[in-house]
Amino acid sequence: MYRVQDEVSLLRASLQGETGAWGEIVSRYKDAVFGLCLGFMRNRADAEDISHDAFIRAYINLRKYDLERRFSTWLFTIAANLCRNQLRYRKNHPSTEQPLQMAGGTDPAKLVSAEDRQAKVRGALNQLPYSYRAPLVLRFYNELPYQEISEILSIPEGTVKTRIHRGKAMLKDLLEEGA
Amino acid sequence: MKHDDLDVLLQDTLRAEVAAASDRIIDLEERVVMELGDRRPRLRWFQWLGQLAAPTRATRWGQIAVVGATAAVFLFLGLTLSDRIAPNTPAPQLSLQRLGTADGMQSVLFVWPAPLEAESVAVVGNFNAWEGTDLSDPDGDGIWTAQIPLAPGRYEYAFVVDGKWQGHDPRADEVIQSFGQYSSVRYIGRGGDDA
Repeated sequence: MYRVQDEVSLLRASLQGETGAWGEIVSRYKDAVFGLCLGFMRNRADAEDISHDAFIRAYINLRKYDLERRFSTWLFTIAANLCRNQLRYRKNHPSTEQPLQMAGGTDPAKLVSAEDRQAKVRGALNQLPYSYRAPLVLRFYNELPYQEISEILSIPEGTVKTRIHRGKAMLKDLLEEGA
Repeated sequence: MKHDDLDVLLQDTLRAEVAAASDRIIDLEERVVMELGDRRPRLRWFQWLGQLAAPTRATRWGQIAVVGATAAVFLFLGLTLSDRIAPNTPAPQLSLQRLGTADGMQSVLFVWPAPLEAESVAVVGNFNAWEGTDLSDPDGDGIWTAQIPLAPGRYEYAFVVDGKWQGHDPRADEVIQSFGQYSSVRYIGRGGDDA
């Protein structure tokens, strides 16, 4: 029944306590939020937990959301902040859990198929610092404009452009080193 | 590798990564809704106050109940503590109060706030042939009282505090002067303001 409703109607219904409407919002955004978290965290279990947490927190704090603004930006900001907090915690409390590994585990020089090329990119992404990885994920997975990335990460738009450019250059170097 | 190629490769990689792990979020909406239960988005303080005036909220009565209970607690504390905080401060009170009627008679309360060191307070008037009826102050708070049954009519009276005439009762219906001193006048029943 919620499929035919626009986003603002769903949000208004959610504000009235209709969790079913919020479930529809989750359904619409779960891929985007999970992809953001997975790209930031490089760990599926963390991405799943944080996605879940982000939707709960967004609902509880829904009255802080300004209906005039873009909802996705607000939601992504919550998810990004949760990821950043978790990464800070991990930095001080290192675990034995490994980040996503390259598929196959074979010599990178022998990886020639599209799937293998993606595996190499995953490996390279794992090596990028968070400050470069986060803008790349928001730009290339979530397909957001620079201005929105700037809002979500709370950094100037110029810095976003610089980090994306440098992040790609670093990725390219890493991929060529492994080729 | 060209930059444009890298863009496409990066996009494909990130999408494939999410697709490969999509089983982790297949029922995310159900889990979120289940965890939320019947919770509602948290109200900000000014919105919470605003909702008290909104007539359509199901939660309005609950909130009013909370506010009412809080007010009752403060009222109770105020009434309880006011006696403890200023037990000896005479409060402005009516010197004459009508407390009820029986067979046309009214039980009239005479009240006079006297200095704490006062030893005796009496009321004299044409209802007791100017002989004096003692007021009492059992709790020592300086408020002296006496309750006297009176029939409807006009009554002149004054208080006598430690032998000194106090004829100007600020709560009287009127104050008259005779033989060089003030007396208060009160009308009870048909002759007064309850007629």
